[in-house]
Amino acid sequence: MEWEILLENVLNALAAGITIGCIYGLMCVGLSLIFGIMRVVNFAQGDLLMLGAYAAFYLVAAWGVLAFLGPEFGPFVGAVLAGPIVFASGWVLHRWIVSRVSGLRTAASLDEGHYGQLIVTLGIALILQNGGLILFGSMPRAVRTPLSSSAWMVETGIGDATIFLNKARVISGLVAILAVAALYWLLERTRLGKALRAAADNPTAATYMGIDVDRAHRVAFALGSGITAVAGGLVATYLSFTPFMGLDFVVIMYAGVVLGGMGSLLGAFWGGLTIGFVQQISALFLPPQLQNAAIFVVFLLIVTLRPQGLFGRSAERA
Amino acid sequence: MTTPLSNTAATRRGALALGLGAATAGAGFRRARAQQNPAEVKVAVLAPMSGPWARQGILARLGAEMAVDDINSSGGIRALGGAKMKLVIYDAGENPERAKNAAQRMVAQEPDLVGGSGAWLSSFTLAVTEVTERAEIPWLTLSYADSITERGFRYVFQCSPTSSAQARQTLPEVLALAERATGRRPRRLGMIADNTAAPQGIVKPIREGEAQKHGLTIVVDETFTPPLSDATPLIQRVRSARPDFLLLLSTAVPDDKLLVEKLNEFGLGQGRLPTIGNGGHWGAPELAQVTNPRILEGMMFTLSNWPGKGLEELNRRFVARTGEPWLGHDSLLPYADMMILREAMERAGSADRRKVAEAIRSLDIRNEGPALYFPSRHLKFDQRGRLVDAVMVTCQWRGGVPQVVSPETIATAQALWPRS
Repeated sequence: MEWEILLENVLNALAAGITIGCIYGLMCVGLSLIFGIMRVVNFAQGDLLMLGAYAAFYLVAAWGVLAFLGPEFGPFVGAVLAGPIVFASGWVLHRWIVSRVSGLRTAASLDEGHYGQLIVTLGIALILQNGGLILFGSMPRAVRTPLSSSAWMVETGIGDATIFLNKARVISGLVAILAVAALYWLLERTRLGKALRAAADNPTAATYMGIDVDRAHRVAFALGSGITAVAGGLVATYLSFTPFMGLDFVVIMYAGVVLGGMGSLLGAFWGGLTIGFVQQISALFLPPQLQNAAIFVVFLLIVTLRPQGLFGRSAERA
Repeated sequence: MTTPLSNTAATRRGALALGLGAATAGAGFRRARAQQNPAEVKVAVLAPMSGPWARQGILARLGAEMAVDDINSSGGIRALGGAKMKLVIYDAGENPERAKNAAQRMVAQEPDLVGGSGAWLSSFTLAVTEVTERAEIPWLTLSYADSITERGFRYVFQCSPTSSAQARQTLPEVLALAERATGRRPRRLGMIADNTAAPQGIVKPIREGEAQKHGLTIVVDETFTPPLSDATPLIQRVRSARPDFLLLLSTAVPDDKLLVEKLNEFGLGQGRLPTIGNGGHWGAPELAQVTNPRILEGMMFTLSNWPGKGLEELNRRFVARTGEPWLGHDSLLPYADMMILREAMERAGSADRRKVAEAIRSLDIRNEGPALYFPSRHLKFDQRGRLVDAVMVTCQWRGGVPQVVSPETIATAQALWPRS
């Protein structure tokens, strides 16, 4: 009996860790894209995730644009559509604000524009949080779906041990994997992807080759925003949120990106996945209040033993 | 030559002094009269209006605003010549430091403040009352932490049962409900609590003897750090240990949603495992909006106040006025606080904050006035500023709406407890 309980605990922790880890992975990829290509440390990334959650909420619940898809499919389509909406916001943000403190304009400066970037992105974060409070209100919201409180139950065949696969998270995890695969294809197989990679590797040389580096950075910032927004839309299917939700995720995103290797797209995904995994598995043998402490113990271990991150060398740069 | 001049100067100086004295006396008299019968009396709500707890602050503001409008439309403060009550709002922000800064700003900007209410979160209230106590402002609060009224302060009045009182009251209350409904006394207790002050104030005495005193074995005792990212490990332990009932002591709607949804996912929701939460957030309208109300069905929660029998009209007016689905704990208590301040001013016949505080200390009202807004229908504070006869209210989600199931005097529904 004890053995069955232990088995069930381990299998359920694994299932939860993988599904949540995939969503964390997606948000880390968004941040990694911006850092990898533009070398911009974006403190507003958590708030772009929040915009994604609200975009999905308005599409699915408040305005009911996707109501015809029903509560099972609508929320996930809403999450995907949040991507293009926040992509446009990211484009505007870069065009009018972020480009002033990044790209070729600051390449020659001593700090490469990092001080300005820190202040500007922190400012954007504060504006988005408090602007969100004014626009969206303080009431917690969620994209309601019956799938968030139901599970596919898989009998293990060993006593009563059962694996509960939360339907909303399994679908969200699959959407996250598809989104990362699509992004990987875009970066590896398309002309736009080549331009983005060239702008990341050597902006000056890329300019000589006729690549509009400023535009490439704008695309990268908007893409990173859009990808994180999709993750926000997916989170909204099982968590409730307020305009301040970004604060809870921005630390996870940075930890995932550093864990996977700065600038590595696939590394960021694996970093996010590792965080989700550690968060759940650690709860098996540690008190749940130490879940987040466990993440940072693993984080410190990896940074100490492998400073370049899990995939800092082996994975190709974004 | 000098003498007349000196005499003249002396006379002028005397006249000037006399004039100034008369003017000062006149101004003093007018100020005294103004204080006696001011055109308006200022009261404050200091609560989080921004940051993660903004929703609770906004609910507090809605309750207080309604009370002030009710007071003013019924003639203001009669003992002060019909002076109107004026509400000033201060934002406590998102941490105790900001809350304290807001209190300092409030004290500096509102020298004529008569009293106030706030600041929702116990840690905020602890910080705010450090400031209001020095300024001798009578301060009413719904916060639970015992420490708020353990510091020997004279101007703080706690309108809820303290955390330790809640711990003592919750178990017998829940056990009595279970016995009444099933004829059996539960034996196995599960507890999941977050690590903030209020829930820990409740679980600590339960761990340290209350459970044993009531013949309960604690089979699940988990503490988590909010906000939760996932409730799987917590609910998995509940599924493994199979308690007879579960205390869910979280403090925020996002965690409530995750916990009840995970219970449902694991086949323990919708009353199959009797589950009892604590705090106003368990009855907040937004909980029914962020999760499926069906899975809240049968869920119970205990808290310090809820509008039950006798407050239907107040509830109806609040709904019509604000568009909120119902009047809950977070708005009812600030409403009651304003009514207490009015009662105290009426009794003191003054807007002097010390006299108002003294009047609050001497209140002993049953079944009338502001006492009607408390479940015991008794309003009296003890030496420490704690509400005497502070009774816990138990509510249960029924048909998508929280209903009071205990105490019987204000109950609007019978408690349902699964028989299995």
